[in-house]
Amino acid sequence: MNRRTFLIGAVGAAACGSRPRLNVLNWSDYVAPDTISNFENEFGIQVRYGTFESVPEMLAKVMGGNSGWDVVFPSAEYIQPMRDMNLLAPLRHELLQNLEALDAPFRVPPWDPQLQWSIPYMHGTTGIVYQRTLPQPIQAWADLWNPTLAGKITMLDDPPEVFGACLKMLGYSLNSSDPEQLKKAQQEAIRQKKLVRAYLNAEVRDQLVAGDVTAAQAWAVTAGQAITAVPDKLSYVLPTEGFARYADNMAILQESRRMEAAHQFLNYLLRPQVAAAIVAATHTATANGAAQKLLPEATRRDTVLYPPQDTLARGEWFTPQSAASQKLRARLWTEVKSA
Amino acid sequence: MKLRNAFLAPTAALMLLTLVAPMAIIAVYSFLTRGAYGGVEQPWTIENFTRLWDPLYLTILWRSVWIAALSTALCLLLGFPLALFIARSGKRKNLYLSLVILPFWTSYLIRTYAWMSLLRDTGLINVTLQSLGLIKEPLPLLYNNGAVILGLVYAFLPFMVLPLYATLERLDNNLLEAAADLGARPWETLVRVTLPLCAPGIRAGAVLVFVPCLGTYLTSDLLGGSKTVLVGNLVQNQFTNSADWPFGAATSLALMAVATVLLFAVRRRGEELL
Amino acid sequence: MKRGLALYAVAAYAFLHVPLLILAVFSFNSSRFTVWEGFSLTWYRALLRDGDLIEASVNSLIIALGATAIATILGTLAAYGLWKRSSPWVAGSLYLSLVTPEIVTGVSLLALFQWIFRFVHLRLGMHTVILAHVGFSLAYVVVVVLARLRSFDPTLEEAALDLGANEFGAFRRVTLPYLAPSVAAAAMLAFTVSIDDYVITSLVAGVDSQTLPMVIYAMARRGVNPVLNAVSTMIVTGLGILIMVSERLRRS
Repeated sequence: MNRRTFLIGAVGAAACGSRPRLNVLNWSDYVAPDTISNFENEFGIQVRYGTFESVPEMLAKVMGGNSGWDVVFPSAEYIQPMRDMNLLAPLRHELLQNLEALDAPFRVPPWDPQLQWSIPYMHGTTGIVYQRTLPQPIQAWADLWNPTLAGKITMLDDPPEVFGACLKMLGYSLNSSDPEQLKKAQQEAIRQKKLVRAYLNAEVRDQLVAGDVTAAQAWAVTAGQAITAVPDKLSYVLPTEGFARYADNMAILQESRRMEAAHQFLNYLLRPQVAAAIVAATHTATANGAAQKLLPEATRRDTVLYPPQDTLARGEWFTPQSAASQKLRARLWTEVKSA
Repeated sequence: MKLRNAFLAPTAALMLLTLVAPMAIIAVYSFLTRGAYGGVEQPWTIENFTRLWDPLYLTILWRSVWIAALSTALCLLLGFPLALFIARSGKRKNLYLSLVILPFWTSYLIRTYAWMSLLRDTGLINVTLQSLGLIKEPLPLLYNNGAVILGLVYAFLPFMVLPLYATLERLDNNLLEAAADLGARPWETLVRVTLPLCAPGIRAGAVLVFVPCLGTYLTSDLLGGSKTVLVGNLVQNQFTNSADWPFGAATSLALMAVATVLLFAVRRRGEELL
Repeated sequence: MKRGLALYAVAAYAFLHVPLLILAVFSFNSSRFTVWEGFSLTWYRALLRDGDLIEASVNSLIIALGATAIATILGTLAAYGLWKRSSPWVAGSLYLSLVTPEIVTGVSLLALFQWIFRFVHLRLGMHTVILAHVGFSLAYVVVVVLARLRSFDPTLEEAALDLGANEFGAFRRVTLPYLAPSVAAAAMLAFTVSIDDYVITSLVAGVDSQTLPMVIYAMARRGVNPVLNAVSTMIVTGLGILIMVSERLRRS
């Protein structure tokens, strides 16, 4: 099969199936099994649904400005940078009637107070999951530096998160760009490294469930899934020193030629029933207040997903870092990993 | 010679497109400055190269070379007898060769996960050893350098076996018979006749294994628990998390330079590049 | 020594295949954990229902077959050309493509394509992936075929020329048959490299060209997923049967 024949065939095939199209790039495991197909059936639009594991991965794909994707889901601290790179299209609120479904705090989020470029989708926290068999329950980041847990601790493989935990433990801000503070945080990370079993993201879930890992720095969504898998064996705690909050948002790429379809999709995801179905399937916390009301009592009371307001007050959102700060953090992280 | 030129032309054109042009771009990037969130911008600078001359990065490079060399040596040790067996297996050659390749047609990631689930504290190996009473506590088999090397050897074994097989297969049996006639025992023939004769295959295999091992990052992340930085991790980080493309470009050029120097050192005088 | 070699081969094959056998066994496990809970085909059913996975598999196959065919042909010809008279430029660039880390190849190709697409009205897609795959497999093919060419006696071709054949005829009827096993080995290597590639493909794939490794990586990142076991088992079984059948055909 040579390339030219294939190309001709592909063009032919594309010309045949010409329903309107929409290309969506989202985090993995962030929709319910039937979310996309229901949208396709109702609106008659064919959706190409791709996934990514980290924002830098997504950025690498869309930075060129002609990637072919229409809708993406950046985290909060990337909205401003993507704006600076002219990647986002302004949102037309007249096409988004379901905006009112959003929970009050998420209608004026600090990273996009007028929702001009993004709409909050799902949110969460970063805390610690631990086995209940521990003699003392874990309460603070400092507990992850406990030598008795050597070889059984994992941290996230994510520099902002690891440094975030260290900074919080030292009493500083998550988003510190002060070289002194960052270096102290790095020292803590290096001190902890010999106790760390591995730096793991979502993969730690299975190891928590299996019991290989006793305590892990983890995202709320991972914690929720692990706890659901083995009820009564694991607990999730938001450390006393403070913790990170994250929010993933929907946005439309500037390059998209399918503005109407894209807005229809965003509006569809804002529907309370749709959002509630997604939450039921993925165990995340939604920014959609109307959807929350549709959730079962148990889910709404779930402190992993919806911590009480006073606890949330200890949380801090990530903000974009200056280039100098990024460079310093990158270097410090390399030193930690190489230690 | 016309035939030879015609034969080389398509490859030359393809190399121009898929290698020379992209490399030129990378070289250009390495002299620029990082953009705020990725990409490159002016001013021009050599800072990315001077940054490399730092104990931190040199240690990382040394560690990578060491692990790659060890993995290559193990591949050679394990792969040679296997290639020998296949080359001498007569009618079943293709079958045995296919059986070597077959595991590698499943995804590398799947195979790595197979090893991860085997080596875990609650994985099959530890569970079996514990139930047999041979150990009390699970052995920490995963998330260390040993696991990384195991993963590398497992991943790149066919890249050693195939070239070795290709040279061994056409070894002139007369030479081996002559050696036997002259009184050499099988081992002697192996070491003093067979081995030197398949030197090209050994060198080809070594190149095909050493270089990817040097640039690997998935293995050290998955089997090493992301606890160590190899050059591959460093480069990958620059192009993703750290969003420092120029430094990533400079590091890549340095990595390629190191690989080239080492492989040159292993060459015989007068022998061709490949 | 023949005995020793055979025993070693058994051990080596065990090392290669046992992890996959274990994956296969657990693909029939009704539980998703390493504890055996009972025989079940749920994961296979889930696999067959996963449209993305199937489409990605088809894409992977198309790309691998296409790239292997092109790379093997071009690579064999190039190896022959280099053997006749070396070309520092071609040999040098092939060598460079080998020593370049995958991530660099991927990023540099992405940069190149994005630059080209400013002038030519194209996007990333199957064609860019196949092009990239041919680019990095060529060197493997050349290395394998060239290694074997080094032990080929050039006087055989000369004899053919003396007997009235032209250059191409001599190549086709004298050298090529000699090269056949190594061309086959090189093709297998190229196929393996292509179907297994994650890093480069993920960077230059377009919206419509998801490949199997990309889907697998996305699934595996979230932890142990028995559907992956099912995928692995199906691939191994399918290809295994293919190999057995071709062996039978070849021998009859």
